[in-house]
Amino acid sequence: MSTSPTLPEGEKAVICIRGLRNAFGEEREQVIHEGLDLDVKRGEILGVVGGSGTGKSVLMRSIIGLQTPESGEVEVLGESMIGRDEDEAKNIRRRWGILFQNGALFSTLTVAENVEVPLREYFHLTPKLMDEIASYKIAMAGLPPDAGPKYPSELSGGMVKRAGLARALALDPELLFLDEPTAGLDPIAAQNFDELILSLRDKLDLTVFLITHDLDTLYAICDRVAVLADKKVVACGTIEQLLALDHPWIQEYFNGPRGRAAAAA
Amino acid sequence: MATRGYRKGDEQSGDGIYRCVGNLTISRAATTEREIDLMPDGMTIDLSGVEKMDTVGAWLVYRAVRDRGARVEGASEDVAGLLEQVKQADKPVRVVPEQEGGGFKRTVGELGEYIVDAGQTFHGLLNFFGATLIGFWNVFKRPTQRLRWNAVVQRFDLVGVRALGIIGLMSFLIGVVIGQQGAVQLRQFGAEIYTINLIGRITVRELGTLMTAIMVAGRSGSAFAAQLGTMKLTEEIDAMRTIGVSPVEALVIPRMMAAIIMMPLLSFYAMIMTIIGGGIYVWLDLGIPPLTFVQRLQEVTPLTDLWIGLIKAPVFGFIIALVGCFQGMLVEGDAEQVGLKTTAAVVQAIFLVIVLDAVFAVFFSSVGWV
Repeated sequence: MSTSPTLPEGEKAVICIRGLRNAFGEEREQVIHEGLDLDVKRGEILGVVGGSGTGKSVLMRSIIGLQTPESGEVEVLGESMIGRDEDEAKNIRRRWGILFQNGALFSTLTVAENVEVPLREYFHLTPKLMDEIASYKIAMAGLPPDAGPKYPSELSGGMVKRAGLARALALDPELLFLDEPTAGLDPIAAQNFDELILSLRDKLDLTVFLITHDLDTLYAICDRVAVLADKKVVACGTIEQLLALDHPWIQEYFNGPRGRAAAAA
Repeated sequence: MATRGYRKGDEQSGDGIYRCVGNLTISRAATTEREIDLMPDGMTIDLSGVEKMDTVGAWLVYRAVRDRGARVEGASEDVAGLLEQVKQADKPVRVVPEQEGGGFKRTVGELGEYIVDAGQTFHGLLNFFGATLIGFWNVFKRPTQRLRWNAVVQRFDLVGVRALGIIGLMSFLIGVVIGQQGAVQLRQFGAEIYTINLIGRITVRELGTLMTAIMVAGRSGSAFAAQLGTMKLTEEIDAMRTIGVSPVEALVIPRMMAAIIMMPLLSFYAMIMTIIGGGIYVWLDLGIPPLTFVQRLQEVTPLTDLWIGLIKAPVFGFIIALVGCFQGMLVEGDAEQVGLKTTAAVVQAIFLVIVLDAVFAVFFSSVGWV
């Protein structure tokens, strides 16, 4: 197996990015991505790593359509994401769930109502059924039942992430985007969250696109890791495959003291 | 993959078998729920034709098993696994917080809470008033060290200079309106000339300061509350405290000084603009030339009216800044609070300004400044 960011011909990808270019600044002089390619396989947990400012979040925002790239192709679930109108985009949005870094829960709604928002938007279900769906999603995200009627401001950091995950799972997505899910959690909570994601992937047949800084998460749950550096995905593969490369950033990342500690764990 | 939906089996023959064919997913959840409701209790659910099932479909089947004694047949391994998943996650959750009591009891309870709230707000405001006085005293003792001139001057600009445009325009228009309405009414008695008295006295004594205060409360009082509230949310104020910087000295006092000093200046400016607006109207409609207008204005408007207007202005400024900063510091929790407290800041500031204005009116009249 190679560490190429693209899959061999013929293999189908859930997310397929080709020649992505993102730039900021008044004259677009601050280039974040240039000629970025990446494929995500069905059913895998793909970890995305990279130093600060390498555009991990920008990459995710380009995929989910919050950021229009300068050029390049982004295909999600076989549909091109560039230049879509709202109605077409809605059909794809139904099929993914997104957990933002700080949860992005709607602060005026309770946790259960937050989970019901996507249900209300897309389907006409009876209130009873919606409440039941919210209940079991909350339980699946590992929250205690008394978290349902609470407002986001009453939750701890770990509970906010779980509530955000429950909302991301509301529509039974095929694809789950997680932006630093374990950032700001204590090690035990982070480990529990890792296990939760792994078990949900197995149970619900998810494909997970996971941005993280957490080496333990990478070792514990990621099938493949994509490394963002030099404005593109320099390599994508299992950690063993990446360790065999002599890219300076990858070596420093995985062979630094923290990387070795995580590997030993 | 074609969605063939479900067939209800032989409903007519009443064998009680619900056959699911195709996709048993959230897209057809509403229909499935209705169809299962129509089936008799103890039905058999045949899942052998299911191509794709999600947790919502699994939930509907599980619910029928749990509540209606349904039996499941022909579930593949995946489907059975999913049924097990939702069974494990079956923990009823309340969607909204519990509310106690019935209609009347709750109304009385809410009224009581409201009154207690109002009392606490007033108490808190007095506390805050005390804290700012202490802050002012500390700054006054060592002004070179403790007074943040940069912040104060910046606030002068935001509260005062930038308000000139809107307050000028508003005042000018009010002047025109007073002149016009006054002229129409007084003409009935042949006393148009008294329009000048009306313009001069009402503007200088009351409206100039009052309208400026309302505008400043809307512009700057709300801004104070929103700024401090957001800083509270992002823990900036906590950070300040831990570094040893007093938030009252660093944030509240510059805003108060700006409001106290800018209010009389803005009020005076508003008076002038109102008089200009009224004067132009009087000139055009009644044919009284500006020079005559000014002379007459001097004769009929006592100097005490100006003092009354200008004495009130810094007090109003103080109240606006006090309430704005106080409400901002009350923000806790989430973004919605910032909105609520900003609204409260403006409403309470305007209310207090009008109450005080009434007190001033009675006071100045009784000391003989009529």
